[in-house]
Amino acid sequence: MDPGNARLVVSVPARMEYRDHVGALIMQVCRVQLPGEEGVILGHHLASAFNEAFNNAVLHAYAGTSVGTVEIELSVDLPRLELRISDHGHSFDPRAVAEPDLAGFPETGLGFYIMKSFMNEVEYRAGSPNVLTMVKYLEGGAGQ
Amino acid sequence: MLEHALTNRNGVTVLLLKGSLNALTAPDVRAVIDTLVNERRLQVTIDLSALEMIDSSGVGAIVSLFKRLRTIGGEVKIAGLRGQPKEIFRILRLEQAFDLVGTVEEAEARFAR
Repeated sequence: MDPGNARLVVSVPARMEYRDHVGALIMQVCRVQLPGEEGVILGHHLASAFNEAFNNAVLHAYAGTSVGTVEIELSVDLPRLELRISDHGHSFDPRAVAEPDLAGFPETGLGFYIMKSFMNEVEYRAGSPNVLTMVKYLEGGAGQ
Repeated sequence: MLEHALTNRNGVTVLLLKGSLNALTAPDVRAVIDTLVNERRLQVTIDLSALEMIDSSGVGAIVSLFKRLRTIGGEVKIAGLRGQPKEIFRILRLEQAFDLVGTVEEAEARFAR
């Protein structure tokens, strides 16, 4: 297997208790794929984006419904990393998400901004399932 | 999972947060924040040296404390910011808002000036 390739596929109940365990797996994959401090930072970036996406699935997609599942797929083919989060809950329109005014120190509405800040591409496809796809490209380092 | 502890060092309230401050654990911290504001603890250091992970909900809780204390003339310093939380603070430009210090002792010294 090419050492620059890895694939992680996880399906968990849409409960916050599972989030950091999956995040830890994502960070570990990053550290294995990119040794040293770069891999650590990369892991922080991916885990941060993942956290917000998972939160959205738990708190919004499945709001008012019985607990569903969240499927997480991390595909690594350096320098490209793709993180895909799928759910079968309510969909949303990402175009309706307002850009936060950071100068005003907002307390809410930061999730999508965090995802877009750490990942090069963020795309959402409403459907059954809803699929949020985030891609990060390494450019000689661990991104921004 | 999040552990928190409140201590008082020479008139400065130190709020230690250990573990993961997220959508699940942030409500517990908000309850502590309510207490700090109600008791008018005007000099607060948030010790993040043991905080491993923070999300937007956790940020919201910390920003809430910052804004509510500022309104009543108080001040918040952040000690020991590192790892993933440090990346979140950077991307949200919170490093420009908070007085970031290395240790709780350093924060205490700055409050004493």
